[in-house]
Amino acid sequence: MRRRTFLTTLSAAAGVLCTAPAIAAARHYSLDTTQSTVGFETDFGPDKITGSMPVIRADLAIDFRNLAASSVSVALDATAARASFPFAAQALKGPRVLDAATYPSVTFESRAVRREGDEAGIDGLLTIRGVTRPATLHAAIYRQAGTDPGDLSRLTIHLTGALRRSDFGATGWSDLVGDEVRIRIVARIAQVA
Amino acid sequence: MAAPRAGFGLPTRVLHWVMAFGILGTFALGAYVARMEVGLGNLWLFGLHKTIGAVLLALAMARIVWHGIAPPPGPLPGPPEWQMTLARAAHRALYALMLGVPVSGWARASASGLDVVIFGRLTLPAIAPASPAVEDALALLHRGLAWGFLAVILLHVAGALKRAIGARDGTLRRMLRG
Ligand code: HEM
Ligand code: HEM
Repeated sequence: MRRRTFLTTLSAAAGVLCTAPAIAAARHYSLDTTQSTVGFETDFGPDKITGSMPVIRADLAIDFRNLAASSVSVALDATAARASFPFAAQALKGPRVLDAATYPSVTFESRAVRREGDEAGIDGLLTIRGVTRPATLHAAIYRQAGTDPGDLSRLTIHLTGALRRSDFGATGWSDLVGDEVRIRIVARIAQVA
Repeated sequence: MAAPRAGFGLPTRVLHWVMAFGILGTFALGAYVARMEVGLGNLWLFGLHKTIGAVLLALAMARIVWHGIAPPPGPLPGPPEWQMTLARAAHRALYALMLGVPVSGWARASASGLDVVIFGRLTLPAIAPASPAVEDALALLHRGLAWGFLAVILLHVAGALKRAIGARDGTLRRMLRG
């Protein structure tokens, strides 16, 4: 699986901000899909089900001077969602959860980006099963190994968040599988403009 | 058609006892999986229940075919007529349930929309539409038929024990030893 990946953002690790040279406007980044993962996790009795979804498209613009001018727009391929065991993947993509046959993608569009200490909070609209609800992701930006401090051309962003699948009508197997789905994204991005 | 034999042949006896233990075991396993806290460690028990249940369905069909080839003997005389009628009705109900219980389980599993996998690799075709409403209805049916099966089995066993312990008329012995 090379395509797992995605979302992202902006944020500003304070270190990055301080050492960043003056930047006039938002920088645009592309996602390295082979080095990124869009993972999720939910409870399954005493255990957890983990999984991932490949990224179809990710548009990222980060303005390190003015975080609020940053934006992110991502689409995930629900039809290629994976889970830690075969029944879970089938259940996940089926009509009672993602209904990937009818709604092949999951999307996130940022609406507001705020600074949260060393991190960033991204308020946006998450669409699952055709249902759009507000969702917030928390982003922390790191320098990639082997890059110089202040080098903003290649970055790694960790995004976390949680959603309640019942909010989106994805209620299948709610007697066995938890309602809260925790999202963990590792996005490795490279500047394109 | 072959003349009914005086006793139960070996295939009939083996089928009777293998299926009796299999059915009671599958019942207990079904009742357990329906109530346990499901997790990664015990998910395989669902597969085991389906696998043994499907084998029992195949054995029930084989048993019916076998009885067409080699009809079992009539009952030993003794009990009053109403008891003989009850025993015959119970046997008919047991056959209906040997088919109906596993088929309803298979249909119920199909309605979940997930593959019905037995022996860890063989996927059975879906025999019911994938829908939560259909699944709920079939779950109720499978549960109702399974518990009804248990009730008829208990009646059947009570009758067998009554003849074995009360009348000592050889009924149980001929199912055990021919
Ligand atoms: C002789 C055969 C079978 C017997 C005696 C049997 C018995 C049972 C019983 C007692 C239960 C629990 C009902 C309750 O809630 O109290 C059950 C549940 C179940 N059975 Fe069967 N069963 C048989 C065959 C099958 C087959 C062939 C399948 C599927 C291929 C199947 C699938 C299921 C499923 C999916 C459940 C539900 C478990 C749950 O509640 O999550 N069964 N069965
Ligand atoms: C799941 C359990 C059981 C089922 C489905 C079952 C089914 C049947 C059926 C259908 C027959 C009629 C003969 C035939 O068509 O093969 C029969 C006969 C018999 N069964 Fe069972 N049985 C079960 C359990 C038991 C148990 C636990 C006992 C013993 C305590 C028992 C004792 C007998 C006896 C003695 C006969 C012979 C009746 C005669 O001589 O006419 N069965 N059983």
